[in-house]
Amino acid sequence: MAAFVAWLATSSVGYAQSLPAGPLSLAGGALTVGGDVLATAGPDDPGFFTYTSYDRSLLRLMQIDLTASARAGRHVTLLGQLRTQNFGRVDVVAAYVRVRPWAHRRIDVQAGRIPPTFGGFARRAYGQDNPLVGLPLAYQYLTSLRTDSLPLDGEELLRMRGRGWLSRFTLGNTEPYHGLPLVNALQWDTGLQVHAESDVVEVTGAVTAGTISNPRLRDATGLRQLVARAVVRPMTGLVLGTSVARGPFLTSGAEAWSRSRHDDGEYIQTSLGADAEYSRGHTLVRGELMRTAWNVPHLWSATAGRPLTALALSMEVRQTLRPGLYAAGRLEHLGFSRITGQGRQSEWEAPVSRIEVGGGYRLTRSLELKASFQHNRRETFRFGRFTGLASQLAYWF
Amino acid sequence: MTPRVGTGFAAALILALACTAAGQGTVARRGSIQGRVEIRRAVHPAERRPTVGDLGTPRDRPAAEPHKSVVYLESAPRGAFEPADGGRAVLDQRNETFVPHVLAVTTGTVVEFPNSDRFYHNVFSFSKGGRFDLGRYAAGKSKSVRFDRPGIIRVFCDIHSHMNAFILVFSHPFFAITDADGRYRIDNVPPGTYSVVAWNEGVTSEPRTVTVREGAASDLEFSLR
Repeated sequence: MAAFVAWLATSSVGYAQSLPAGPLSLAGGALTVGGDVLATAGPDDPGFFTYTSYDRSLLRLMQIDLTASARAGRHVTLLGQLRTQNFGRVDVVAAYVRVRPWAHRRIDVQAGRIPPTFGGFARRAYGQDNPLVGLPLAYQYLTSLRTDSLPLDGEELLRMRGRGWLSRFTLGNTEPYHGLPLVNALQWDTGLQVHAESDVVEVTGAVTAGTISNPRLRDATGLRQLVARAVVRPMTGLVLGTSVARGPFLTSGAEAWSRSRHDDGEYIQTSLGADAEYSRGHTLVRGELMRTAWNVPHLWSATAGRPLTALALSMEVRQTLRPGLYAAGRLEHLGFSRITGQGRQSEWEAPVSRIEVGGGYRLTRSLELKASFQHNRRETFRFGRFTGLASQLAYWF
Repeated sequence: MTPRVGTGFAAALILALACTAAGQGTVARRGSIQGRVEIRRAVHPAERRPTVGDLGTPRDRPAAEPHKSVVYLESAPRGAFEPADGGRAVLDQRNETFVPHVLAVTTGTVVEFPNSDRFYHNVFSFSKGGRFDLGRYAAGKSKSVRFDRPGIIRVFCDIHSHMNAFILVFSHPFFAITDADGRYRIDNVPPGTYSVVAWNEGVTSEPRTVTVREGAASDLEFSLR
């Protein structure tokens, strides 16, 4: 598979020269269409460290995105993005209207399937803005926790440690299914978003149907999550951001079950995040810290009345070595709070660490070949390690 | 003044006068090529890539300058390829736009890339003979590149996808950039018959033949589709 990507890279250079390097501009510039094509090849990952669902690994992925922006007058823009992975079904990733009520004030209202408000990574284009092949753990790694199914007790949750790719619980939906990442970067939420900015400060607030872990198209109970983000740019090249999100995370089936129990507390997900970016010359450094807490009242005996928490830390460096050639690295860790099972205490999900190093070379302005080596470590008895070299060819216009 | 020194000075003076007269004669003998380049296709400024990840409307940009053309001699007269100093030129980064959009220089020219915006740019080019990456630098700072090989250099910003410019590097000085109306004039062309080409946004015309006569302007019109 890696050889296939290498062959694709060499054989596609000439072809890419004749392909568009910029977006297609139609109707006098009122409609622009762009696209991203990604072909990724890597080794088998038996521990499911790199999976985004039960059957989809980021290391073995063909992804095609088509993005369009249509201006409807001076104040209104329609934006959308379609995606297909491994030539499967076509999904609508984004579909929203952006309204700028006052032409000379930098305030925008966006409604529909909107870009993620929370965090520093989820809005970045996976192919072009990600210097490595893998996604940050916080935005991709699947914990065992689900929105439609709940563990009966602490012991049942502990039995699912390290099995987020296909977890199964007793309460709610009992069918096996993948669990939640801390933030879902591949699926966007539906709601209403307001954004205001100056040259130094940006603030964004949104109400959405899902949560940052489980964005949704709609929910029977309407818009329920509140999420906000503030960004400050104290000097050129330095960006400091902070985010907060809070909303009920159970979907309808499990929520009905929780209501029937007459629990005192609510099943709420609360997340806090801080991110920073500094760039100068040929160096770019990014760091992100986030804490997510899922309040699961019926497990309070196992959690000592505290929510299930996850803490994610990520540091990323990118260094341009020569025109078109760069090296990059990312160091990450996911940690989890401890709970009590049957005669044992442990983190409710297995802590995971990942180091990924690699680089990329721009064959043309819009064709890039990346390769990265990643080592994952998880505190589980089986499949506790995964090391692999992956390559990716990215083309965009 | 000794007679020996006086004789030498007189000889130098006569030589200098002779050279000046010859130089004036050379200038007088040269002609020019002038005309207009008509663009018969719609040329739109580069659009931003439609990114759905933006939380708000991207910054406004001023209306783009008309896309100018470059007219040049395809085959330059003998002696035109003497090594030249090249001088300096400026390609500014202002309001998320390269200004000017088209720059034509001779080999050996050092092009400055000042950043006149309040945010970062990252100028780069992957063109043959002009591959460079200047990295990110703040407002008021400038970096430069010397172009020693003739060719067409496409310049981009790695942060703002819609920013692009052309630098046409010639090994001779016989070229001109059109004005806003598409008019051009190439001066100081030695008499002779030449192939002339017009270029606009990567599109080149078929070479046209023109004869330049002493002290006269030869008209040559182009139409690019």
